[in-house]
Amino acid sequence: MVALSVAAALAVFLVYTAVAGGGTPQISPSTLAGHKGDVLIVGAVVGPVTGDAHGKGLRFLLKDVQGHSAARVPISYTGSVPDLFKVGRHIVVEGTLRNGTFVAKPDTLVTKCPSKYAPATSKT
Amino acid sequence: MAALGRAALLLAFGLVAYALVAGSYAAWKRRRRLALSAQNALLAAFPATLLASVVLWIALARRDLTFQYVAQHTSHSLPLGYALSAFWGGQEGSLLLWLLILTGYAALAVWLNRRSRELVAWAVPVLGLVATFFAFMLAFVSSPFVTAPAPADGAGMVPSLQNPYMLAHPPMLYLGYVGLTVPYAFAMGALLSRRTDERWIVITRRWTLAAWTFLGIGQLLGAHWAYVEIGWGGYYAWDPVENAALMPWLAVTAFLHSVMIQEKRGMLKVWNMVLVALAFGLSLFGTFLTRSGVVNSVHSFSKSPIGGWFLGFIAVMVVFSVALIYLRLPLLKAKTKLESLVSREATFLYNNLLLVALCLTILWGVVYPILSQAVRGETRSVSKPYYDFFLHTFGLPLLLLMGLGPLVAWRRASLRALGKTFIVPAVAALVTGVALLALGFGSSVPGLLAYTFSAFVAAAIVLEFVRGTQARRAVAGEGWWRAFAMLVARNRRRYGGYIVHAAIVMLAIGIAGSSAYQTVREQALRPGQSMEVAGYTLTYRGLTQTQEANAQAVRATVDVTRGGSHVTTLHPGKNDYPVEQQTSNEVSIYHDPRNLGDLFTIADQVPSKPGGPFYLKVLVKPLVNLIWLAGFIFVGGSVIAMWPDAVEQRRLAAQYEPGAIVA
Repeated sequence: MVALSVAAALAVFLVYTAVAGGGTPQISPSTLAGHKGDVLIVGAVVGPVTGDAHGKGLRFLLKDVQGHSAARVPISYTGSVPDLFKVGRHIVVEGTLRNGTFVAKPDTLVTKCPSKYAPATSKT
Repeated sequence: MAALGRAALLLAFGLVAYALVAGSYAAWKRRRRLALSAQNALLAAFPATLLASVVLWIALARRDLTFQYVAQHTSHSLPLGYALSAFWGGQEGSLLLWLLILTGYAALAVWLNRRSRELVAWAVPVLGLVATFFAFMLAFVSSPFVTAPAPADGAGMVPSLQNPYMLAHPPMLYLGYVGLTVPYAFAMGALLSRRTDERWIVITRRWTLAAWTFLGIGQLLGAHWAYVEIGWGGYYAWDPVENAALMPWLAVTAFLHSVMIQEKRGMLKVWNMVLVALAFGLSLFGTFLTRSGVVNSVHSFSKSPIGGWFLGFIAVMVVFSVALIYLRLPLLKAKTKLESLVSREATFLYNNLLLVALCLTILWGVVYPILSQAVRGETRSVSKPYYDFFLHTFGLPLLLLMGLGPLVAWRRASLRALGKTFIVPAVAALVTGVALLALGFGSSVPGLLAYTFSAFVAAAIVLEFVRGTQARRAVAGEGWWRAFAMLVARNRRRYGGYIVHAAIVMLAIGIAGSSAYQTVREQALRPGQSMEVAGYTLTYRGLTQTQEANAQAVRATVDVTRGGSHVTTLHPGKNDYPVEQQTSNEVSIYHDPRNLGDLFTIADQVPSKPGGPFYLKVLVKPLVNLIWLAGFIFVGGSVIAMWPDAVEQRRLAAQYEPGAIVA
């Protein structure tokens, strides 16, 4: 009985992962090239930040959070801009690479706030 | 000062390590006096940890910036209340809070149950083991008492944490997380001492219930904080850190139900052990998630070295629990078998499977990025659709079961009896479903199902109360109110449970209403212009600037009318914090008493020059206030179920320990 139910739950699960294709890839700017379709890009904001998120789109560059890759991906974003968004901040945004520009889906920009739990200066 | 704190932590480490080593040896060799001394060491660890905590609190209150921790988390301009709450604002302080609560709980649980000698003899070293890990981390790896020359001013506190909810939310969660250590320790104590009867469950029932209530309240407070403070109009985002608190809560919910089957019918002994270990493991995993930065999260924690230690400790605890349960399998044989698939036990079993399935699918979602990185070499993550799918697949049947379960008889229920008890709730559900469909609520199938099921459960709960009261009236000849009060007072666990069920129904209605039927609109407005949302008209009048103690505030004036008459004036805006160099959204909310919903306004973009466009985002969330109201009812029901019951305790004492009192 228990085994049957667990099996049923697992079956539902497998059907779902088959249908949904198993999640959205998370990419860093240096590994974006060649990725078609919807991805999440994780990176640090590089200025200058221009444009208008409520108009034609906010434009900025994104670089790798870690390492010394020279890759910079231009981003175009519309929608709500979180308060913590600024140059240097780490962000996650969902979208697709089109003609060399990463076109973000509206309202998918999320900033991360590195100071909340463990400050960057902590040497513990 | 710092030296005193460090000394207190070292002392606490010594005491709990002694409780672990001496306690294990004493329990193994059955040395009574050594066991007592280990027990006393565990009791003494609490005042030692309290001393360390007081030192940190004093340093925070005085803004003693020579403490690195204080310099990193406060500033001179930070109000005192928030400075004190910085105790749990950072990693080292949070670990100290863990240890403080753990040693407090351990001392209380061990002292209250000191007469159950065999169990306690083994529970002491298990508690000691967990405490030793945290004390070790604090004393040697991540100390809150590291000193350095004081900077001119501290780094301050993240603005969004400067909110009254943040005073209460983290301690509540920790009271919950840590509380799960007590039932775990007694369960392992039962296995180690081979006393695998139901006594450990009886001893820890209230502990589990209390931890579960704190965990639930902690999450609701966090959700409400996110709702009023973060400024995106939501209260839960399936973020790994939020899931970290939800998973153990779901596991404990399953556990609270399945132990009733073990108490009544002597079944599911292995399952209960597995659940209590799972809940404890998930509480450690939750602490690990929020501290290690291993999973990408909105909360984002920079990678910290304590992650590896935590992972190691979790691995040790998992191996220990699994090995111990495996070794004691012969002692955990069920006394009886499931007689029918239509019985109270069976519905409890279904509820358990659904809860655990939901819990594990969430766990899978949380660790998916790590696993896909390891297997495919590419980090992939799942998001809201994944979680929503499983919330609907497992959550909706769970909701319905909550109404079915209490109506089904123990052991074996006849279909005829079932038909009779189900008729009223079923009619209530059908009428609700048809009425809502006619009103156009069919726009969301999960929403419609949630409402229909909620009607069924609500009717079933009311029916249970009415039946019980009628029976009392007939037997005792009491009036309606007295019969009702006595019914609850005499069966606190049962009717407290039903009240919690009612709270969950309210929660489900609130969640369905505010997510499935919400309206969102955003528009650029210039002074004098208005926008229409779901029957409200919002007119933007202009901006005002004010200087607050530690922030510069900009507020818009937005007049709200409905049907031509003035409803309220809202003031969404932004705060600029110069010390922390951050801005924060300050939302403005109107609670509509007509539909218990909210009109939620966000200043999405404030014009940089006068006369520029003001971007106003408006969310209309029907029934959302039921979620917060449910919290109060949830606590009320839990407290009733937890309240000491002299009759029950005498019965249990006679059953499990002739001649002694079971606390």
